[in-house]
Amino acid sequence: MGFSCYKYPFLLYPHLTLPLLCFFLTLFLTATCFLNPKKKMKMNGGAIEADLLLNCTDMSVLERQRAHLKYLNPGFDSPLAGFFSGSSVIDGGVIDGFLGTDGLNLPMIYGENTVEGDPRLSISPETMTGTRNFKKRKFDTETKDCDGKKKMMMNRHEEEVEEEEKSKITEQNNGSTKSIKKMKNKAKKEENSCSNDSSKVTKELQKTDYIHVRARRGQATDSHSIAERVRREKISERMKFLQDLVPGCDKITGKAGMLDEIINYVQSLQRQIEFLSMKLAVVNPRPDFDIDDIFAKEVASTPMTVVPSPEMVNSGYSHEMVNSGYSNEMASSGYLHFNPMQQVDTTTSDPLSCFNNGQAPSMWDSHVQNLYGSL
Amino acid sequence: MQPTSSMNEEFLKKWQMGLQIVRPSIDNTSVSERKKAIKLSADIAMASLRKGTTCWSRALIQKTATEDNFLVRQMLSGIKEEALINKRLPKKVVCHRKIVRRSKKILRRKTKSACEEAAAKAKKLVKRRTQGLRNVVPGGDLMSNDVLLLQETLDYIMSLQTQVNVMRSIVDAAEAGTEQ
Repeated sequence: MGFSCYKYPFLLYPHLTLPLLCFFLTLFLTATCFLNPKKKMKMNGGAIEADLLLNCTDMSVLERQRAHLKYLNPGFDSPLAGFFSGSSVIDGGVIDGFLGTDGLNLPMIYGENTVEGDPRLSISPETMTGTRNFKKRKFDTETKDCDGKKKMMMNRHEEEVEEEEKSKITEQNNGSTKSIKKMKNKAKKEENSCSNDSSKVTKELQKTDYIHVRARRGQATDSHSIAERVRREKISERMKFLQDLVPGCDKITGKAGMLDEIINYVQSLQRQIEFLSMKLAVVNPRPDFDIDDIFAKEVASTPMTVVPSPEMVNSGYSHEMVNSGYSNEMASSGYLHFNPMQQVDTTTSDPLSCFNNGQAPSMWDSHVQNLYGSL
Repeated sequence: MQPTSSMNEEFLKKWQMGLQIVRPSIDNTSVSERKKAIKLSADIAMASLRKGTTCWSRALIQKTATEDNFLVRQMLSGIKEEALINKRLPKKVVCHRKIVRRSKKILRRKTKSACEEAAAKAKKLVKRRTQGLRNVVPGGDLMSNDVLLLQETLDYIMSLQTQVNVMRSIVDAAEAGTEQ
């Protein structure tokens, strides 16, 4: 598609080429008008028609050409079917030469236009006349003409164009022959006018499909590798969760290092539990009573400290918080719920602070807040 | 996936229940005995939170049941203890060592490129670490699947964190109480 766009700019700008064509047609008409003063009156009408054509861009090339030919031949009749193809060729040639001065790469364009226009032109007289016998004869002549033209076109292009472009032209020719066959079968104008465009669209669609399939080719598709991929994805997902959960694990890349860190963390947690239970056993000979006591205190304290007042924080707690390494935010939020007894021993030497500073790593601090919030 | 406060509360309740059960037996014993009882009760409380849905909790309960069956039975009386304890753990895969070694030798004979060797080394490292993780997580050697092992580890770490949080807060409170 890329090279064809480069070589045939009209493929990229079909909406520009059509008005250009019209414009040059009008130029040609005016030139002929000056040459033949006899037809001047008619030419004026023709100019108006051309203007109209310029205005209505919706009209197909076929309609425009037909209108143009109508104008050229006011007494236009179906027997002149042969004239059509010839005239169109002449037109193409003349305009070709006409435009050649502008330095545009137009031989290609007009060649293609004639090829595309042939089936359409062959329809137009038929629609005008509506007689069947004529149609058949006319089609025969038309197809012959088309073939001849195609050969001519092929010869012309073969000299200039590379193999790929040639193949493309043949494709287009094939398309035109197909359209002719369709015409023979159906003899419907609109369908044929659309057929070329639709075929182009389908080609593009096929191309995109091909590309889409090709993009997937990298991955293996057998069930084993798919299952393996799913397993790996699952493992990596779990590892990501673990990274979030285990502190200091997010800096480590690599599965082995992360597993090391996880093992260390789990072991440290287990040791922590051992240590804490030891501590609890040492500190309190009757642990269950202790917990009951705490619960009682907590229940008693909750109505008191539902709303933590800033004075409390400022007066008794602030220095204690600083000592024990808690943030002010914690003091204001959940920490106060648990504090009736600590409120009492703010004056005494702080056991919490020494414990925190001595033993517990800093990572627990955030979790403790959680618990206090829950209690 | 941080441990939530509801988990903390639940664990605390369970643990308290366990301690109440333990209390008459450890009233006048040595510190190490008391410590063991406390740890056991905490472990069971942690495991019972999962209600037998995870591999590690079942393995942990089985392990503690060998140490103190009475306590476990008492603590799990609330939930279906029978289901918890007697739930079948997946059987450990036993294979003949000599055969495995021979097959490894055969595999080793194939010549490998440098890249393949590096990949094999990395794989070996990961395998060793995974084995270490299996040893650390209770019931880890019963999990044949890597994905399952990681999932259980996640859950286990979460409950360990809960346990540590609660225990730490209790210790703090107890220390404060004694100071007072």
